[in-house]
Amino acid sequence: MTAVTAGPAPAAQAPPRQRSWARQNWDLVVTPALVLGGLAAVLGWASVHQWDSVESRALQPSYLWARFTEHVWLAVASTVLVIAIALPLGILLSRPAVGRLRTGTLAFGGFMQALPPYGVIILLAFILGFGTTTAIIALVLASFLPVLTNTVVGLRHVDPALIEAARGMGMSARQTLWRVEIPLAVPVMVAGIRVALVLNVGTATLATFISAGGLGEPISSMLKLGRPEAAFVVSAIVAALALLIDWLAGLAERIVAGRTA
Amino acid sequence: MSETVQPMTDSSTRTGQRPMISLQGVSKTYPKQSKPAVAELSLDVPEGAIVMLIGPSGCGKTTTLKMMNRLIEPSSGRILLDGDDVTDVNGDQLRRRIGYVIQQVGLFPHLTIADNVAVVPKMLGWDKARVTRRVDELLRLVGMEPGDFRDRYPRQLSGGQQQRVGVARGLAADPPVMLMDEPFGAIDPITRERLQEEFLEVQRQVAKTICFVTHDLSEAVKLGDRIAVFGPGGRLAQYDTPDEVLTNPADEFVAEFVGSGAAVRRLSLLELSRLELEEVVISSGGAPTNRHPVLAVNDAGRPERWLHLPGSGDPPPLVVVPLSGTVYDAVDVMLDGRAPLVVVVDDDGQPRGALRWDALVGDLRTKGRLP
Repeated sequence: MTAVTAGPAPAAQAPPRQRSWARQNWDLVVTPALVLGGLAAVLGWASVHQWDSVESRALQPSYLWARFTEHVWLAVASTVLVIAIALPLGILLSRPAVGRLRTGTLAFGGFMQALPPYGVIILLAFILGFGTTTAIIALVLASFLPVLTNTVVGLRHVDPALIEAARGMGMSARQTLWRVEIPLAVPVMVAGIRVALVLNVGTATLATFISAGGLGEPISSMLKLGRPEAAFVVSAIVAALALLIDWLAGLAERIVAGRTA
Repeated sequence: MSETVQPMTDSSTRTGQRPMISLQGVSKTYPKQSKPAVAELSLDVPEGAIVMLIGPSGCGKTTTLKMMNRLIEPSSGRILLDGDDVTDVNGDQLRRRIGYVIQQVGLFPHLTIADNVAVVPKMLGWDKARVTRRVDELLRLVGMEPGDFRDRYPRQLSGGQQQRVGVARGLAADPPVMLMDEPFGAIDPITRERLQEEFLEVQRQVAKTICFVTHDLSEAVKLGDRIAVFGPGGRLAQYDTPDEVLTNPADEFVAEFVGSGAAVRRLSLLELSRLELEEVVISSGGAPTNRHPVLAVNDAGRPERWLHLPGSGDPPPLVVVPLSGTVYDAVDVMLDGRAPLVVVVDDDGQPRGALRWDALVGDLRTKGRLP
C-alpha cells in the first residue's frame, strides 16, 4: 500500500496499529499528488510557452523565489504572532471566572472578522505606513478569530467530569489546565491554527498593495500590464502553496487528534 | 434540626469508634439561593466504616460529600479529618490525601491506564519505581492484569473496567479516606452487582473509611455499615445501621423513602449463620423420627436428597444454600426449586441445619428486630 508514505505515523503508536493508521489516512496522499501534478503541468506549460521580455522578467526563477520567500515569511510570521496572542487570550477567556467578558470579546472578534482584509490592509497602511510590518499586523487581525474561538471552544468543551476528577484528586487549577484541559483541547486549537495559516497564505497576496512584496506583486503587475497568462502561472504557485500548507497543517491536526481522541 | 445523630447500635465489628471524618455544624448555601443546600449538618464517619449517603435528588448528599474534600467550600461549620481541622487548609493538598471516585469515572482519555492511576502518586513526588509497583499492585487488587491493561487507553476499556480503574486511581496514594459519588450509578445492573461484590472484597483488604453517595437503597443496604438518609432541605433525617433504618425509620420521611420494599430488603441483611436453624437427621438407616426432617448424604457427607419430611407425604426436592449466605439467598433457592425448606451447608458442604419457609415467615414476623 503506497499510503504508508503519506506521512510519519505518530511515534507513540505501536507497530501493529501503524498499518491501520495508514489505511485510515490513505486519503492524505491525494491532495499533494493532485497539487504537485497540477503545478507541474502549469510549470511545464510555462517552460515551453513563448514569453515576451516583460513576462520573462516576472517569471524569472530568482525573482519568483524572492517573492515566494517574502510570501511565506508574511504568512508564517503573522500566524506565529496570532498563536502567540490568541492562544493565551483564548485560555484566559475559557476560565469560568471571566463569564460575560468572554461573550463580549468573541462578539467583538466576530465583528473584526467581518471586515474585508483588503480594506483593513489599506486602512492600516494609512495609519502605520507602508511595508512588511503593517502587512503582518493586518494579517494578524484577519486571522485572529479562528484561533481565538477554537481555543475557547476547545477548552470549554472538555468534559466537566474530567475537570472534576482532576480537582478531586488534588490537582490545582493550573495543573488541571496544563495536564488535562490543554492536552484535550489541542486538536480543536490546531484546527483553528490551520484555518488561520491558510487564510494568511491567501491574504498575503494583498500585501503587494502596501509594498510588502509577496507573490501578489507579480500577479498584480502582470494583470495591470495585460498579461494574464503570466499572472495565471504565479497564481497557480500561490494556490499550490496554500493547498500544501493546508495539507501539512491537516496532517499535524490528525496526528494530535489521534493522540488524544 | 441541628442535633448530632449518633448511631444507636454498632452491629459491625469491623469499624472503630474513632471518627475519621467529622462534620460539625456544616452548612452550605449557594450564591443567589435563599435556602441552604445543606443545613447545620453534624456527622461523624467512624474509622474503617462505609457510610452511605442517600436521599432524593437535591437533598444535599453530593454537596455534603464534596464539602468533605472541600471541592465545595462550606458556608459555615468545621470539617475534621482524623482529628485535624481541615476547614482552612490548602484544598489541593487536602484532596491529595483523600481518594475520590465519581460516577462518570473521569479517566483522562489522553493518558494510559497506568498514568491515570499514577496521577496522585506522581503529584506527591513518589519515585518512578515505587509508582510502577503501586500501579501494578492496585490493578491486581481490582482484578485487572497489569500486563494486559497498564498501557491501554481508557477508550479501549468497558464501562465496568473503567470504573475499576477509577477505584484503583482513588486508592492510588493509599489515602485513609475515600469519597465515592455514585461510582456504580451509570453501570448496567449485572456489572454493577459484580462491582459491588468486588468493592466489598477490596474494602476487606484495604479497610478505608469510605463515604459513598448513592440513590439506590439496595446498594446502600448492601454496602453500608451506616446509612445517612438525607431529607429535603439538606437535613439529616436518620443516621444509623442499615438494619435500624429499615426496621425503625426515624420519621415519616424516612419511612416513606425506605418504602414498602423494606421487609424484603432486610432479608439480604440477615445472615443465615445468625439464625437458629432447624435440626436435620442424617439418615443412618434407622427408623425415621417424627420430629425432624431426614436427609440422605453421600460418602463425602454432602446432602443428596430428602428421605422424610414430617407432616408431608412425598419428600420435597432438595435445595442447598451456603451458611455464608443471607436469608435472601435462602428464599431465592426455595422459590427457584419450589421447595418448602432448604438445607444450609458450611464451607465443606456438610449440612448444618435446615430453614423452613413457614418458620422463616413466622420468625421474621415475630422477632421484629434483628440482632
